Amino acid sequence: MENTTLAHHLLLAGLLFVIGLTGVLVRRNLLVVYMCLELMLTAATLALVAFSRFNQTMDGAVFVFFIITVAAAEVAVGLALIVALFRQQKTVQSNELNTLCD
Amino acid sequence: MISLLSTIDVAFKALAPQRADWASILPEICVAGLALFCLIQAMVLPKSLRWLIPSTARTGIVLVLVMCLVSGTAWNPHEGTLTTFAGLLQISDVTVGFRATFLLCAFLTSLLATPFLEERKATITDYHHVLLVITAAFMLLAQSNHFVTLFVSLETAAVGLYILVGYLRLSGASLEAGVKYLVAGGLSSAFLLMGMVLVYGSLGAPGVDSLNFDQVASAIHAGKTTALTMTGIALILGGIAFKLGSFPFHAWIPDVYQGAPTPTTALLATASKAAGAFTLFLLVTGPFQPLDFRIAPLLAGLAVITLLVGNLGALASTDIKRTLALSGVSHAGFILAAITGILVSGQNGDYDRHLLSIYLLAYTVGTYLTAQALVFLPVAEDHRRPLLGLKGLLRRSPILTSALGFGISSLAGVPPSVGFFAKLLILILLAQAKLWWVFGVALLSVAISIHYYFAILREAVIRPSQESQEVQPISVPLSAQFIIGALIVITLLGGLLF
Repeated sequence: MENTTLAHHLLLAGLLFVIGLTGVLVRRNLLVVYMCLELMLTAATLALVAFSRFNQTMDGAVFVFFIITVAAAEVAVGLALIVALFRQQKTVQSNELNTLCD
Repeated sequence: MISLLSTIDVAFKALAPQRADWASILPEICVAGLALFCLIQAMVLPKSLRWLIPSTARTGIVLVLVMCLVSGTAWNPHEGTLTTFAGLLQISDVTVGFRATFLLCAFLTSLLATPFLEERKATITDYHHVLLVITAAFMLLAQSNHFVTLFVSLETAAVGLYILVGYLRLSGASLEAGVKYLVAGGLSSAFLLMGMVLVYGSLGAPGVDSLNFDQVASAIHAGKTTALTMTGIALILGGIAFKLGSFPFHAWIPDVYQGAPTPTTALLATASKAAGAFTLFLLVTGPFQPLDFRIAPLLAGLAVITLLVGNLGALASTDIKRTLALSGVSHAGFILAAITGILVSGQNGDYDRHLLSIYLLAYTVGTYLTAQALVFLPVAEDHRRPLLGLKGLLRRSPILTSALGFGISSLAGVPPSVGFFAKLLILILLAQAKLWWVFGVALLSVAISIHYYFAILREAVIRPSQESQEVQPISVPLSAQFIIGALIVITLLGGLLF
């Protein structure tokens, strides 16, 4: 543990964030896209905890609880929407969603 | 005993600046309480009395609005600001206008939603509950002075909006719009959060709460900014640009506005955009103020691109809701231009502090007048509203045509509507700030917008309908006629009294 620095944590968080972003942009399955969104939030949380630890301020660590709560609420609504959409359209592939157009 | 009391007194005085001033957020508490009261009513009232629920909600909103305005007029602008809840919230004369905007949006949305949902046999109580929760969250957002308050209230509102966009569970379009909004919104909140974390981390030091706006400002002022801070600020501005619906995060707007139930579309176009505008204003005049020489050119550039993208997109669209959605993007461009002007000119003018509230109130009135016409226009599917469907509207319903006419004129900025003066104030500000190229593009975009706005009116007023079936008059309930009349009066009076 002595050798891990802030830079290591930030690198990992940045990597997770980019993986999540790539997933959101590339994948077509809505569930996978949603998982990738959560991965991005988690990456931000990881960076927050690391900063909180290395800056020696507790505010960041407290913020994490709020983020987790908000993310849970978001998942509850998000999954409900995806399930309802699946019942209607029988698909969760984003490229097959084309009701809305000009 | 006396010494003990005096000790307690001293302790309280030491804590005084940290004390939570609950009275200052009484309006938010009342709105949230009203939201719960809607659910209680649904449990207690018999089915025959359920119609009371939206009426109680609206009465409550009006009372809170009066409370806000009364306490707001008592506010002396020279007194400065009130920072409370250990620096989480900051209340000033400007935030009173922000609160009033959100309450007005909630009131008008409730008026639209009640007949709309009744016609589609959807529950009205849940809609009002979520609407009131969103309103309370937006009102807190407009007063936040800390990144935690900002994030939590913004996300509370966002989760509520996901529900309201996908509210019609049996309509594929509504659900599709809900999911698209969910993914776009999730992406933007991830950007926003990452930005906050980077700002917090790069400016932090032991004993400094760098999530607090004042401390962020003083850290930036002390020259502690690094590349990491700038990345963080860019990510935050990107996340806010999504809420505002400005370039480069405007791609979701046409689809979501088209698929969402029309009352929700109106709410998204007004309250959600206003939330983005107010948050951006709070951030660039608060924590990021010391960097305004870098942010102002960036916002000016975004304003110009947003104005052009919105207007050119709206020109090409043939669906009414999509046209209005893309015109909303160009209004976001106007808002960005206004914020740039305020940043450059340094908030000197009398109107500058309240310019955003004035512009958004005018935009709100125009949008809801238009939405009233759309809600009562009978269509097979809510998400298919081609321009041709308006043919012969003048003969079918003069009242809806006048709602559409005044609403669209105000949105387009035709004198003497209130929308004209709102746009004029922004153009004057841009001229004073000597931002001539933004001024030029803003004028050009007004000219372009006249074309597509009046394409809508031309269908409604000039084109005669051929089929006899279409001449059937549309019946509009008396209450809606009254509201349309009131909004038209506000549009004209607001314009004439300026």
